[in-house]
Amino acid sequence: MSTLLEVSGVSVTFDGFRAINNLSIQIAEPELRAVIGPNGAGKTTFMDIITGKTKPDEGRVIFGEKSVNLLGMSESQIAQAGIGRKFQKPTVFEAQTVRENIVMALKNPRGPFDVLFKRRADAREERVREISDEIGLTEALDQTSGALSHGQKQWLEIGMLLAQDPRLLLVDEPAAGMTPQEREHTTDLLVRAARTRAVVVVEHDMEFVRRLNCKVTVLHEGSVLAEGSLDHVTKNKDVVDVYLGR
Amino acid sequence: MSNSFIGRNPSILWFLLALSVFTIGVTLLSEATGTGLISTSFLKTLGKTLCLCLVAIAMDVVWGYCGILSLGHFAFFGIGGYAIGMWLMYARTEGIVTGSLSGSALPPTPQEVTDAIGTQIFGVVGSSEFPALWAFSHSLPLQLLAVVAVPGLLALVFGWLAFRSRVTGVYLSILTQAMTLALSLYFFQNDTGLRGNNGLSGLQNIPGLEAVPQATISLWFFWASAVALALGYILFAWVVSGKLGSVIRAIRDNEARVRFLGYHVESYKLFVFTLTAMVAGIAGALYYPQAGIINPAEIAPIASIYLAVWVAIGGRGRLYGAVIGAALVSLLSSWFTGGSAPPINLGFYVVKWTEWWLVLLGLSFVAVTLFFPKGIGGIFDYFERKRLPDRQGDYGPDKGALRQQEGVE
Repeated sequence: MSTLLEVSGVSVTFDGFRAINNLSIQIAEPELRAVIGPNGAGKTTFMDIITGKTKPDEGRVIFGEKSVNLLGMSESQIAQAGIGRKFQKPTVFEAQTVRENIVMALKNPRGPFDVLFKRRADAREERVREISDEIGLTEALDQTSGALSHGQKQWLEIGMLLAQDPRLLLVDEPAAGMTPQEREHTTDLLVRAARTRAVVVVEHDMEFVRRLNCKVTVLHEGSVLAEGSLDHVTKNKDVVDVYLGR
Repeated sequence: MSNSFIGRNPSILWFLLALSVFTIGVTLLSEATGTGLISTSFLKTLGKTLCLCLVAIAMDVVWGYCGILSLGHFAFFGIGGYAIGMWLMYARTEGIVTGSLSGSALPPTPQEVTDAIGTQIFGVVGSSEFPALWAFSHSLPLQLLAVVAVPGLLALVFGWLAFRSRVTGVYLSILTQAMTLALSLYFFQNDTGLRGNNGLSGLQNIPGLEAVPQATISLWFFWASAVALALGYILFAWVVSGKLGSVIRAIRDNEARVRFLGYHVESYKLFVFTLTAMVAGIAGALYYPQAGIINPAEIAPIASIYLAVWVAIGGRGRLYGAVIGAALVSLLSSWFTGGSAPPINLGFYVVKWTEWWLVLLGLSFVAVTLFFPKGIGGIFDYFERKRLPDRQGDYGPDKGALRQQEGVE
């Protein structure tokens, strides 16, 4: 296990409010990590910083064995470097079919001319099948993705992440709005994905985190409050005070 | 590959079929080859309409597919017209001048010829010097290059500046409109060297073809416009099909998400903006020789707004929709404003369509946006019974959002 992502001393202020305060986190490869914390703890801002949506006021974010500085890169460059993100609300392209959504996410050259002229469909069809089997949407490949159920959209988005084949996967509340069976399936998927890559899951639902059975980081007011196994952090008095004891 | 491309886009075949039937029909009825049921001036109107359809397709790609409401594409159209117009004027004046000077005792020096041409062209703005803009006007190939290169470069530079600072939505529209206004004001100035508000005229007279009657020339231009429209349709159908189309529609629907997929959104917008600007330039270069005259008023922002109205009425996001909208509205417009529409006598007031046409157009635009957001092209969906489920935003983690059991139809 080597360190894939290193966030050190990062702070962000929005109009005087410190959303992230001297935050430092290291993620290894492969690793499955859950990030929990009460509302406003800075979980989503943490993801925004890694993916380039928000630029921090200070601190460093280093990625990969070449130690690239993510802060100097645009969102699309960061995504191409191998960081994929799933949003809290499923954001698939609803006007397009499931297949189009997956094909768009497939790891391929991303320039306009690459996309315009390289139209070899047969090679990617196989990959699309693999992914749609994985997320259970093979039947729905030619359906408009807007017609999918909420849970299916969540999976489609996870499938798009898998298609991107990222080294680091950031997943924001994947289980929201899912039925118990769907949750179980999602847990399996994430655990399997984390065998070969780093997966960071932000989640509210303790039951879901317990089933992931991984190292947990508790965020509070923009910095790390505790880190360790779920049992370890739930025994931590600070954690109980700010989060679980509410 | 081409089989499957046509197979996946059956509307291309239908469109090409309809266009060929129309072209052959008009040709047979025209003055040059047939009965003359279609007068030469109406033939020119039809040819011009085909050019407008071409620029409308370009507008549809940039707005309907990529979500950039550009209020500047008619300026690119006008620039294309100016580029070809400069050669037409130069070459024709050169012919006239050498003709009249050949009668003199001494053969004219090249300088004398140039001066005479300059006086002929720029006399109306009180000048006889050739401005730098006209440096290549003697050369048809270079001016043809300018037809695509000038709109393309302008779109590239403008788009690069606008997109990289992530200006989107209505602000981008305002910015494109400002560009259009600035261009038209620049063209209006006498000092610019494009004959100010006189514009370029006599463009229907093609140098070297003085012996050919206008009826024939008009037919040639009509054919050229039809071919250009067909090629443009195929080009854009190819561009918006497949993965590139998928990406640009995704940019329209959720730009930020496309970035997180690793696509450099700005390059895609720039590509679409520049390509459509170049096609608009070609459409303009075919339009203005049929119109005979171009002046800076053609570039004014209102023209680009009309373009957006045509596409909205025809139906955004489908190429044939843009064609239907442009053809229908521009033909209706020339019918109403040409005085052929019978006035309606209300007893106390006579509705003259030359005055009320714009009101009618405005009302239909409002009606289409309110009641038929898919435009006229939406009728085809009705026949196909292909109703896209419109669920954008219905699902979400919030309480009260639709849940799984309500999901699949």
